[in-house]
Amino acid sequence: MKNEAQLFKSLADETRLRILWLLMAKEELCVCDIMGVLSITQSKASRHLRYLYHLGWVNDRREGVWMNYRLSVAPGSPEDKQLKLLADILGSRPEAQAIRDRLDQWLSAKSQPTSESAAACRCS
Amino acid sequence: MRAEARFFKSLADETRLKILWLLLEGGELCVCDVIGALGITQSKASRHLRYLYHLGWVTDRREGLLMNYRLCVPPGSPGEKQLKLLAEMLDSLPEAQALRAQLHDWLGKKRQPQVRATAGDKEESWIKTFS
Repeated sequence: MKNEAQLFKSLADETRLRILWLLMAKEELCVCDIMGVLSITQSKASRHLRYLYHLGWVNDRREGVWMNYRLSVAPGSPEDKQLKLLADILGSRPEAQAIRDRLDQWLSAKSQPTSESAAACRCS
Repeated sequence: MRAEARFFKSLADETRLKILWLLLEGGELCVCDVIGALGITQSKASRHLRYLYHLGWVTDRREGLLMNYRLCVPPGSPGEKQLKLLAEMLDSLPEAQALRAQLHDWLGKKRQPQVRATAGDKEESWIKTFS
C-alpha cells in the first residue's frame, strides 16, 4: 500500500492542495499564474508542481520561458475520484472560494497588456 | 486548507492505511488484533491508533487492560466518503486481500484457545501479559 500512502502524501500539503484546487478551475495554468494567485515564490511553485508532475497529477507544456500545467488524471481512475472528492471537500470552504476569486481577478488583469500581472508573466 | 492537509497526512502512512483497512473489515478490533494481523509492535500499533483517534477516524472503548477501536466517521461526512474511496482503491490490491486473510486467520485463532497457544511467541506472550 506504499503507492496509496504516497498518493495521500502528495495531498498532505496546503500549497499542493491549493495548486490542485486552482488547476481544477481552469484547463491550464502557467507557473506565473500560480505564483501570482497564491503569492508564493517561483521556486516554491515550481517545486510543488514538479512534485505533482512526478506523482502523475499534472502534465506540463513549455511555452517560452514558462512552464504550463494541467491536470492529467485519467477519467474514472482512483486519482480522478480522489480529485472529485477533494473538490467536494474544498467546495464549501470560504478560503477555497477566495482563492478562486483571486484566480479570476488575476487572469482578467493578465489579459490587459499594461497590467502588473501581464508584466509578471512576461519576464523570465 | 490546513485541516484538509492534515486530513490527508493522516492517510499518508502505510501502517495507518493498513489499520483503517482492517477496521473497515473487522468492525471493532482490539489493539492486540492489529498487532497480530499486521505483525507490528504494541508501541507502533498504539501510536498510530492514537493518531487516528485524535484525527477523528476512530473511537475507542476500554475493556480491562486492552483498548478496542472502531471507525467513527459520521455518515455523509468527508471522512466517510474518503474511507469508501479508500476501500475501493485497496480492494483490488493483492496486498490488501492478504491482510484481510491474515486478520481472519488471526481472529479465528483467537477464538480457539488451544490453537492460540501455538500462535507466534511475541503475540502470545503479549496477550498473556495483558489478559
